[in-house]
Amino acid sequence: MAAETTPDGVGQWVGKSLPRKEDKRHLAGASTFIADIRLPRMRDVAFVRSPVAHGRIQSVEIPEEHRRHVFVLADLQPLVPIGGGPEMATFRNVAYPPLADGKVFFVGQTVAMCIGRNRAGAEDIAAEVFVDVEEQDAVIDAIAALEGDAPLLHEGWPDNSFIDAVISEGDIASVADAPVKVRRRLKMNRQATNPLETRGVIAYRDHRLDELVVYSSTQGPHVMRHGIALALGMPEHKVRVIAPDVGGGFGGKNRLMPEEIALAALAMKVDHPVRWIEDRNEHLIASVQAREHHYDLTLHATREGRVLGIEGSVHVDAGAFALWPSGPFMETGMAARNLPGSYTVEHLQIRTHTVATNKAPIGPYRGVARPGACFAIERMMDELADELGIDPVEIRRINLVQPQMMPYRTAGGLRLDNGDYPAALDKALAMIDLPALRERQRRGEPDGRRLGIGFAVYTEQSGHGTVEWVKRKSRVVPGYESATVRMMPDGTAHVLVAIQSHGQGLETSLSQIAAQELGMDPAAILIRHGDTGVSPQGFGTFASRSIVFSGGAVAKASRKLAAKIRRIGAHLLQVSEADVELRGSCAHGGSGSVSIAEIARAANLRPEMLPPDTRPGLEATETYEPPESGGVFSYGVHAVTLLAHPVTGVTEILDYVIVEDCGNLINPKIVDGQIIGGVAQGIGTALYEELSFSENGQPIATTFGDYMMPCATEIPSFRIGHMVTPAESTEFGVKGMGEGGAIAPPAAIANALNDAFRFCGAWFFETPMTPRRVSDAVVAALESEAAA
Amino acid sequence: MVEVTLTINGEEETVVIDARDSLSDLLREKLNLTGTHVGCDHGACGACTVHLDGTPVRSCIVLAARCECSDILTIEGTRNDAITDVVRRHFHDKHALQCGFCTPGMLMMAVDIIRRYRVPSEEQVRAELSGQICRCTGYMGIVNAIVAAADELDGQRATA
Repeated sequence: MAAETTPDGVGQWVGKSLPRKEDKRHLAGASTFIADIRLPRMRDVAFVRSPVAHGRIQSVEIPEEHRRHVFVLADLQPLVPIGGGPEMATFRNVAYPPLADGKVFFVGQTVAMCIGRNRAGAEDIAAEVFVDVEEQDAVIDAIAALEGDAPLLHEGWPDNSFIDAVISEGDIASVADAPVKVRRRLKMNRQATNPLETRGVIAYRDHRLDELVVYSSTQGPHVMRHGIALALGMPEHKVRVIAPDVGGGFGGKNRLMPEEIALAALAMKVDHPVRWIEDRNEHLIASVQAREHHYDLTLHATREGRVLGIEGSVHVDAGAFALWPSGPFMETGMAARNLPGSYTVEHLQIRTHTVATNKAPIGPYRGVARPGACFAIERMMDELADELGIDPVEIRRINLVQPQMMPYRTAGGLRLDNGDYPAALDKALAMIDLPALRERQRRGEPDGRRLGIGFAVYTEQSGHGTVEWVKRKSRVVPGYESATVRMMPDGTAHVLVAIQSHGQGLETSLSQIAAQELGMDPAAILIRHGDTGVSPQGFGTFASRSIVFSGGAVAKASRKLAAKIRRIGAHLLQVSEADVELRGSCAHGGSGSVSIAEIARAANLRPEMLPPDTRPGLEATETYEPPESGGVFSYGVHAVTLLAHPVTGVTEILDYVIVEDCGNLINPKIVDGQIIGGVAQGIGTALYEELSFSENGQPIATTFGDYMMPCATEIPSFRIGHMVTPAESTEFGVKGMGEGGAIAPPAAIANALNDAFRFCGAWFFETPMTPRRVSDAVVAALESEAAA
Repeated sequence: MVEVTLTINGEEETVVIDARDSLSDLLREKLNLTGTHVGCDHGACGACTVHLDGTPVRSCIVLAARCECSDILTIEGTRNDAITDVVRRHFHDKHALQCGFCTPGMLMMAVDIIRRYRVPSEEQVRAELSGQICRCTGYMGIVNAIVAAADELDGQRATA
């Protein structure tokens, strides 16, 4: 057999911290991001965007000398409006037009596009286009949006809700007389995804190949190809989407956006390539936005601290449109279904509202819904602990799902597959010295700051397949991935995959998997992704799915190819196939060996050397879906120690401990990088990042001067403790883990702040916990104490 | 249109620019030196950091027209530089990059930090990096790589 995997999943290549293949080009400044592509006669596009949040367009006035270079929706026809969101009769939908169609729904919505010799020239033209809008009242608050007197966004809708639904498991009425009730309102505010590379699109017609080529900084070129073909009414074999080096995505580059459709449509109208590179201002006001959850929750519990039921409502402020393909309801459904978290709560009753507002549409962002749900339930657990005078660690011990209960179906309907949650909590405790920290807390700080310690437990659904996505009524069901392994005549290989690395190092980890299965060196294997003209069908990188799905497909295709290599090797060695083993880039059998290069030469160039019934060529394609379609769950515990100043409200993280279990690791160094990067983004959610709006819907954060991105001075060093519970249903026992880091920080940090200011009763129920919010909370607590 | 003559990575270049062009426009759009990345275009993220007469600057907010007779070093000009190569190796070893978009700016800044501090502490490196945004790595690998590279380079000097 080729695979030299030991039972713990570690083999010759799998499980090794192989340095990343991607690094060389990036470190040389030789990578190719979308803005680095140069095409002859390429022109730049600048968009004219809505200056107001809500209104009817009276006219778009274009100076005559620019008429040829300015395009409105009518100029891009024929276009097919495509709606996003779940395929449910109860989901109200309206297609998000590539350029405004009579009305504008948020500040920054695309209204017209202008072509210039360069971006500055295009912006000069855009500045001369006047959009006359009859302004209407804006809907800015998701809860007020559903009140009777709220202005309506979309004609024909009875109110501003995309969908109202009740997520219900168990029987909440059965715990109505629970002795302890804790009710709180919480809010996770809106964020930008902010990959350091903004979005971008280049489109042109390739007449030789008779295809429309769309370069896009996207996480999923195949799905985008489908969407662009639908939107333009084109046959899909004439659309090619290429994602070059993608400078981060985090979910924000995984939806078909108006600019992609508009550039593709424009390329069909003009005889030169067109390029649009999003600037940071455009990103902050009109790209995929995220989060913005309102929770109103009641925990029903026993006096001993056991949570019996969770009841309440979730409002998700979804912005004006449902992005194709999935729309915002997944955010809401996941927020509600993840509320029971890692706990043995039996009854869940959540009214959910997915609300249309005059803001940019929301989409996925690392963690999708779960940072909000985790923040809500973990804050509520600490509130319950406070109420009952129980230690926050103890309240978790009482309620955590125990390992012997696995697989455990939560009240949110999620099947937690395996793991030891209480052991993770113990491990986190072992990594900090809680008694010493409590003693320091009692002593106080010489500078008047307050010490707080906070915990949060999280789970991360990953690698979920067909059944789960069908349950979510997704119009595209990412239930598999494909891989083609193609060996060249000299024994080197390409692996073609449809996932798209945007920083995750998949060129490295997937080559480790192929190398493991083929008995080759990863250096002899190149991963090719990001081009629909090259790779087999697939869905891209999101939902912590790539290592499970694409890794599985690569393993399967490699195994299939390895079988053929062994068969040919056996023939060349004159031994039986069962005796042939692939390792060290050779087939070994009997007392002899033959190099894989020699076998590849025979298969590709010397068919007379092949066994009689073996067809020439060395290529294999496989698709893969793990048998457990509900996903496998990574999980972990975050323990944060911080100091916060009661007057300035400034928070400093002293220590951040992460215990996590994502099953077996393909490349431990890459896994740690994903954890740390995720936590850093979670700290941004917790303390700094917020897209806020004025009463009339003007975005307040429009540059990095007013959208606070965490830098090296805000993000601490981290301590990571690994646990390994191999997944039972996936190749190599892996679980996806790309998002987990971002889930728990808002919860852990809020709990730590609450712990720091417990003495005065300051409460923290809203992110980000900026210096202003922290100091305001302390002032409010002191005032209410004084009034009492 | 304005003509500027300046030295870029050791080569003298004469370039016709718009008066409003930034140095990053000149590098990227006129000379196709695309290793200098533009992350925000308003001087806040540091991705476009290059050295101007030996000092790191954000090339997106430096007017190209003021670079007449200047000496510019971009990431492309460091490809054979022994010091940058040491920093690069530690970035590679310490997983100091993921998507790679901030990396050229980080390297240009890192070399300058090491030049000025010789053996910077972690705290100094973090403070000096406060104008460089990385969205992927959480900075830990970057900070560790710079500290380790500085230590190695200092050791080389000591034994030289």
